[in-house]
Amino acid sequence: MSGYRFERLKVLAVDDNAHMRKLVVTILEAFGVHETVEAENGDRAWTSLRENNPDVILLDWMMPGMSGLDLARMIRTNPLAPNPFVPLIMLTGYTSIDHVRQARDAGVNEFIAKPVAAKTVMSRLVSVIEHPRPFVRTSVYFGPCRRRRANDEYRGPERRTETEQVVE
Amino acid sequence: MARQQPIELFMPPNMLKAKVGGGLGGVDMAAVKRAEAAMEDLSGQFSEWLAADLKALVDTHARYAVGLGDDNRAAMLRAAHDLKGQAATFDFPLVARVAGSLSRLLGELPAGRELPPGLVEAHVQAVLVIHRENIRDEANPMARTLCAELDARVTKTLAAAPRNPNRNGHPTAG
Repeated sequence: MSGYRFERLKVLAVDDNAHMRKLVVTILEAFGVHETVEAENGDRAWTSLRENNPDVILLDWMMPGMSGLDLARMIRTNPLAPNPFVPLIMLTGYTSIDHVRQARDAGVNEFIAKPVAAKTVMSRLVSVIEHPRPFVRTSVYFGPCRRRRANDEYRGPERRTETEQVVE
Repeated sequence: MARQQPIELFMPPNMLKAKVGGGLGGVDMAAVKRAEAAMEDLSGQFSEWLAADLKALVDTHARYAVGLGDDNRAAMLRAAHDLKGQAATFDFPLVARVAGSLSRLLGELPAGRELPPGLVEAHVQAVLVIHRENIRDEANPMARTLCAELDARVTKTLAAAPRNPNRNGHPTAG
């Protein structure tokens, strides 16, 4: 028992496959999530998220029209996005490290490679609740910090930039 | 060389934690068990669900066979990629493996290069047979041999083709 009040969450599930959406929604409802919203592609998700302002978004990568990757970029950078900080969990059949990097570079917080397992979905949800990463804004990127681990032992020069500012 | 714009690093307020609470943290195993039971309840429909994904692959393959073209190829890639993810989740691991092999062929063969029709057809027939025969055991020797053969032929085809500048090679899909 973790004591999470999942019933307070509103989750948007984006996948072009209706059966996969049903499976994801079933898992979320079993966790206790009361409010789930579904979208079958990136375009509909964009409309839906502006209407519903979800707390978390689970999104597929490859969809007709706007892909999950494009949607992630749009959520992070479009001024019309209601919440550019909303946690994004990418759920995809892609499994290579290249794809994980691409998702990360689009501003995705967490990555789930199919097959979908309830424990993995829970683990990623807990991760975005308990271990949110700081956000980074550069001229070419806005989204969660792409460095997974803080390296307190590192004693070399700052590698990100000479002019980094940390905002409280 | 100095960047034009300074990098800003900041921690947004954790609205999610504020909303769901959860002082104990960690994975809620009781909730996971409930979700697994709910998935088990759905599992009787998995074969039927997968049939719909297979039909999507068959349809996109038929369109590509007639019309060729990047759009049709991209649609077939999406169908194969979907099938890979869905089949793995819906307890048809060998269908997932063959669909993954087909996705690799469609995704990594350079866009201007003609797909080998026999190899694509062999993948489509293989997933149909594995599903029809309800082969779910990854150790099934016949299915394993078939998968290994398809994998090998895809590897050979890709090795003979010039390298795609876009490693992921998807004609239009993101």
